[in-house]
Order: sequence, then structure tokens, then C-alpha cells
Amino acid sequence: MSLDLGFWALQGLNALQLSMLLFLLSIGLTVIFGLMHFVNLAHGSLYALGAYFAATLAGFGGYWAGFFLAPVAVAGVGVLLYSGLIRRMRKSGPMAQVLVTFGLIFAMLDLTRLFWGDLALAIEVPEVLGGRVALLGIEYPTYRLFIIALGLAIFAALAFVLGRTQIGAMIRAGVDNDAMAACLGINVERLFFIVFCVGCALAGLAGAVAAPLLSVTPDMGLQILIPTLIVIVIGGLGSLKGAIAGSLIFGFVQTFGAVLAPQLASVLIYALLAAVLVVKPVGLFPAKG
Amino acid sequence: MLETRNLSKSFGAIQVTRNVSLKLERGERRVILGPNGAGKTTLFNLLVGELTPDAGSVHLAGEDVTALPVAKRARRGLSRSYQKNTLFDGLTVEQNLGLAAALYTGHATRLWSDSLAKPEVREIVAEVAEQVNLMPHLHARVSEVSYGVRRQLEVGVALATRPLVLLMDEPTSGVGPEMSKGFHDLLNNLPRDLTLLIIEHDMDLAFDVADTITVLNYGEVVFDGLPEEARGSKLLKEIYLGSWEDA
Amino acid sequence: MFKHNTLRYAVLVLLAAGALFQALTAEYFGLEILTEILILAMLVLALDIVAGFGGMVSLCHGALMGVGAYAFALLAGQAGIAPVLAMAGAVAFSGGIAWVIGAICARSHGIYFIMATLAFGQMAYSFVFESPVLGGDDGISGIARLDLTQIGVDLNDSRSFALFCLALLAVVYGASVLILRSGLGRSLSGVMHNEQRMRALGLTVWRVKADVFGLSGMIAGLAGALAAQHSMFISPGLLSWTVSGEALVVVILGGLGTLVGPLVGAVAFVVLKHELSAITTYWHLIVGVILIAVVMSRANGIFGWIEARWGARIERRVADATRKQQPDGVASDA
Repeated sequence: MSLDLGFWALQGLNALQLSMLLFLLSIGLTVIFGLMHFVNLAHGSLYALGAYFAATLAGFGGYWAGFFLAPVAVAGVGVLLYSGLIRRMRKSGPMAQVLVTFGLIFAMLDLTRLFWGDLALAIEVPEVLGGRVALLGIEYPTYRLFIIALGLAIFAALAFVLGRTQIGAMIRAGVDNDAMAACLGINVERLFFIVFCVGCALAGLAGAVAAPLLSVTPDMGLQILIPTLIVIVIGGLGSLKGAIAGSLIFGFVQTFGAVLAPQLASVLIYALLAAVLVVKPVGLFPAKG
Repeated sequence: MLETRNLSKSFGAIQVTRNVSLKLERGERRVILGPNGAGKTTLFNLLVGELTPDAGSVHLAGEDVTALPVAKRARRGLSRSYQKNTLFDGLTVEQNLGLAAALYTGHATRLWSDSLAKPEVREIVAEVAEQVNLMPHLHARVSEVSYGVRRQLEVGVALATRPLVLLMDEPTSGVGPEMSKGFHDLLNNLPRDLTLLIIEHDMDLAFDVADTITVLNYGEVVFDGLPEEARGSKLLKEIYLGSWEDA
Repeated sequence: MFKHNTLRYAVLVLLAAGALFQALTAEYFGLEILTEILILAMLVLALDIVAGFGGMVSLCHGALMGVGAYAFALLAGQAGIAPVLAMAGAVAFSGGIAWVIGAICARSHGIYFIMATLAFGQMAYSFVFESPVLGGDDGISGIARLDLTQIGVDLNDSRSFALFCLALLAVVYGASVLILRSGLGRSLSGVMHNEQRMRALGLTVWRVKADVFGLSGMIAGLAGALAAQHSMFISPGLLSWTVSGEALVVVILGGLGTLVGPLVGAVAFVVLKHELSAITTYWHLIVGVILIAVVMSRANGIFGWIEARWGARIERRVADATRKQQPDGVASDA
């Protein structure tokens, strides 16, 4: 291992790719929290579900069928969850929410096992994205670059929607003060519903794009959950800025930690989280002061 | 007993406390008057340490306590009641008083004894319950008693730490005129060596209880003197009564 | 604030009698299940003290138990210290770690507290997982049980070990009641009901939180030391956050803040798990659905539900009695 430019470029891109995947997951979770004060621990399970849907759909219509339809299918599951559970849990305290969604994790874990079995599934990377691209002096897998580009595109799109459109203004108003937003004539319940479904779709999308990189297993949702939670707590709950900042911090600390100080890598990120919570108990960029 | 020197505090561009200097002697009963938004509650928060001032200092019993956190100031004898009831809602009236009393007797952090069963604590609870007329309600939960009783408990909890200085934020806020009169008696019957600083909207109570009166307007002390002087003061009428009528 | 009532005493007596009966009559498999219940019961008592009486919903108690287990294995195994002392050391060590976690997390509330404790738990998990000294992924095996042959007890016998755990659980229950009834426990209740007011009255809130969290960590550590001796093998999986999550599930299923309820929950959870896993591999699904149903029903767990029904009946009876005796009776102390 030589610490030359190629090394930095390779690890930098790896870190960025991990960050973008986490961003897709955390943005949904964090905006749902900011808007609804709802902690959905089952967000990771939705991601796993996205991967499974993508794997199944890819069997019928190829990779792109999975890529486009899996988020829709997960959003559909989101609709069911919202009307069945989440809406009724809106007024409960954080602990009740944590527990109900913890129960959901249990249930969804076994449901995926029931439908898809215990064996890992795999998806092929589509041919267009199958090769490698020469970049910054290294050969980098096109598919990973695609994930980075996708993450950045979604970030740009969300920044535009949240910052420049009317629905974005309504969401920001809702995050800021939902009672006030309701007084201003914003249909807060419908807003919650839309945001929840979009959050679910993004989690499904993350699962679909992650599927070819990892093997699709029932516990992949559990494994991604902790990193996602760390991202949103470091970043500060409820804000786009926090989600992207947290994702980048996590991605880079994790990736470079693993290659530069493998002994410390896994403890490092938790230590960082603990440090953030001590210095700023509500994260780096919370949606409200 | 309690003194502030040039206390100032801003929130962003808005200065809510300007250069406030107060001096309360031991046993003095002072009422703070002022229209809504004059910075009365902010001043209390600065005094007890829930806010830190941008400039100036707070002195308690001759010592500079500006740098001390809320709990340490309280342990040195500074107690407060809140304008909005800040009680232990799920517990009984007796337990509410007991938790406070145990902090005075030092049993609140002991592992080897039940603070609420200690004779010293029970004695204070009984005494305070008598002072603020809570005897009939001791075993009721806070959630079961009336609003007026909760207002009395609000003061009772603050008294149960046996403070040297008691800050009361609108003790009669939200209670009817009859109950309000009861509060006058209650306040007048408190031990004479207890220093009282009371925020009050009710002018009658102010003149009934106060030894001295301070008027705040836009965060500034605009009057500081005896009730008789205040009653005749034109300035006070303009500022205070003017806004009072507007409100 | 914690208070025993007739129902709680009755359930305690029933649980103790049931456990004793099981310990004396059951065969090997029954004893294994009983011991599992007893150790889980100890862990959930520790969790109920902080979560049910201090509002500190911890997701690191599984890790604290694991810390106790590893500390015991290291002290008794590698360091060769007498197992009794090793157990004391393990309890003290996990208590110390818990105190530090409690002190750091004291400023966080609600979801942030949950996340902060989760972070510390995962930190311990990763540390153990990555440490070659601690056996890494493979864990440590060949852990010896306490040697009590001097007083005529052979803990390598499952029955004796189950009785030993039962005795320790009884001690821990007594200690938990004493903690909750102490000045410290009362003040913690005050903090849970109104932290701002307790502070304004002169309480150093973080100290109280840290102290109780530390005491709770000692209990969790004791459970860990017992778990290590029970299976004679430990692995990082013991520290995983899902263990903490399950402990929280048990507390909730049983009845948060009742102390007796979590004991009922521990019995229900372990029995349910074994019964269900015997008939289906999808027992997580069923437990998950039950958990959702319990939380959504807004009852305070199984025991909380019984207590509410029982309390309502008693209240009705009291009301009837007072109505008969005096026309305008005063409300009784709930």
C-alpha cells in the first residue's frame, strides 16, 4: 500500500460512495423526524426491502426495472405503514415510537425471510455501468461512480425542492413549527404523508442501488441502521445540511479509518459521535436552535 | 442579601435587560412592576442562573455568584417559583414538598436512607404545608388538585428549600380576586427575615406586600423606591398604567 | 415513585414460588431456561430503574452486561483472580463504565439520549469485536463458574447454579427497591417528573443521573458475570445493541416503572421465545407483532394492564364503601 495520489483518490471515491448511500437513507429519516418528530427505526428494514424488491424485479425486467420500480414498491409499503401504524403513533413519546418501529424491524426481518428465504440474493450490475473508468490516475468502477452521481443529483434536487419551491417552504415551516404551519393553512397531515412516502422511496432506492454491491440478506437493514442513525445524530436531526454533512463525516472517517488505522476504525466513529453529543447535544446542524 | 450590578442581556439585537442594578437588604420585600415584555422574567432567569448575563454581576449574601450554575445558587439560599406551574405532576403534594425539603436537609442524594421518611424532612413539609394552606391536600396528586391549590404548591415547593431569598414570578397569576387576597395574607405571614422579590401584575397586592418597589420598562430600571412614592409617581403612571390599560 | 401494593407483593410471591418450584423439580432443559430467565430478569431490573424511574431509556444495557461478562472472564481467566473477587471486580468495572456513560449522556434527552447510549454500547461492541486480547469475533470459552464447594454447593450442577442465580436475583430486587426508595432514587423520580424544577431547587442533576446509571450498570454487570458463568462462553454478540433492544422490549412488555412487571416480562419473553422457536423459525415476527400490539394498546405492558384493571376494581370498591359510610366521602389516596 503506497500512500500516493492514486491511493487518496481511490479511498476518497470509496468514502464518497459510502457517504452518498448513507445520504439517501438518512435524508428520509431525518426529514421525517424533523417534520413529524417521529423516529423510524424500521427505516433500515425499508432499505432491505428495496434491495429485495430490486432483486426480484431485476429477475423479470432487468436492473433498471428494479431501479425504478423498487422505490415505488417501498413507497407503497410506506403508505401501508403510515395508515396502519405511524399515523396513530404520531402523538406518542419517542420511546413508544422507538419500540413500535423496533417491533417492525423484528416483523419485517422475518417477513423478508418468509418471502425470499435465508439465502443471499445477488443482482448483476447493468452492462452500461459494468466497466471501469479512468479517473484521477486510477481505474474506478463505473457503478460506484454512478452511485456518487445519483447521490449528488438527489441532493441537488432536494436542495432545490426544499429551498426554492412552495412545498419546500411548507416543509421548512412544518419543521420549524408545525402548529404554526397548521395555522397558516398548511395541511400538515398531508405534508407528513408525502414526506414519509418520499423518505420510504429514497430508502428503497438506496436498497436498490446498494444491492449489486452487497449481497442481499435479511439482516442488511439492521446493519445499515446504526450507521444511518449515527449520520443523523452527528448531523443534527431534521436538516438537509445535517444529513449531507453527517453522511460525509461518516463516510470519510469510516473509509479512511479502516485503511489508515484498522485497529481503531470501528471505535473511532462511535467516539466521534460521543464527542459530538458531548459538545453539541443536538448535533452539528440541527433544524432548529 | 441579593444584589445585581449593571446586569445586561440581549437576545440577538434585542436588549431585554439594560444595566440593571438592584440591592435588596435582608428581610426586604420588593415588588417588581412593569408592563408585559419589560424583561421581568428575564431578570429572574438571570438572577437564578437559568440565563447568563452578557455583562454585570449577581451577588448573593455578599458573594459573587455570577459564574455559579442554577443548582449551586439554589443551594446557597436562592429559590424561585414560576409564573407557569412547574411542579412534579405525577406525585402527591406531600412528595412535591418533600423532594424540595430533602434538598435543604441534604438527604436528596443519599443512598442509605429514604429522604421522604426522614423526620427533618417531614417537619419542613408539615411547616410549609401549614404556611401555604396545603394541609388538606397533602395526599392528593398534583394532577387531582385545583389550579389555585397548585399555585399555592408552586410557592410551597420554593419555600421548602428554606431559602434566604425567594423570587416569586407572579404568584397570583391566573387566580381569581378572592384567592389573590388569600395570597396577600400568605405572603404577609411569611417569616420576616426571608427576603422576597416578587414580580406582580396586581397593583393592589404590590402595594399591600411591598416594602419597596422597582419598575422595569424596556429592560431598564425606571423607578426604585417606596410604595408611597410609586403611587404618586407620574412617570410610573405613564409607563406602567399606560401600557396596562393598553393591554 | 416506587411503592409496593398488594398486587405487587402477590405477584412477587407467585414468581418466587414458581421459580423455586422450577429450580427444585425441573430437569436439565427446564433449569437452563430458568437460569436464562433469572439472568434476563436481573438485566431488565437494571434497565427499569433508569428507564422507568429516571426516564433514561438506555440502549446500552446489553453492552454493560457484556462488559461485566468480559471483565469477569478476563479477571477470573487470564488474570487468575479468585472468581468471587473477579465477580466483584466485574460489577465494579461495569458500574464505573456506566457511571461515565451516564455522566456524559445526562445532558441529552429523549431520542438523543437513546442514540447517545446506543453509540456508547456500539463503541464497546466494536472494541471487543476488534480486540485480539478479548478473542475478537471468536469470544472467550472455558469460563469457570464460582467455586462454592467450601459451603457444600457445586455450581457446576445446573440446579445449584439456578438456585444461586435465584438467590442473587432476590438480593438484586431488594437492592433495587432500596435504591428507588433512597434519597437518590426519590430525587431521580423528581428529575423524571420535572428536571428543570429539581435543578432550580438545588439538585446537581447530572450527578444523580450518573450515580443511578452507575448503580444500574453494576446490576447489569452482575447479570453479565452470571451469563458468562452460565454458558461458560462469551462472544461480542452479548454486547450487540439488539440485546439492549430486547431488554427494552421485555421491560415494556412487562410494564415500565413497576419493577415487578419487567420480571413478568422476562418470564413471558423467554418462555415465548422457546415455545415459538420450537414450532417456527419465524418467532421474531410473532414477538414483533406482540410488541407493536402492546405499545399501540397504550397499556403499560402486561403487568401495567393488570394493575390498571385491578386498581380500577379496588377504587370502585373503596368508592362504594365510602359512599355507604359517609355520603360525601373524600377521594382515597391512589
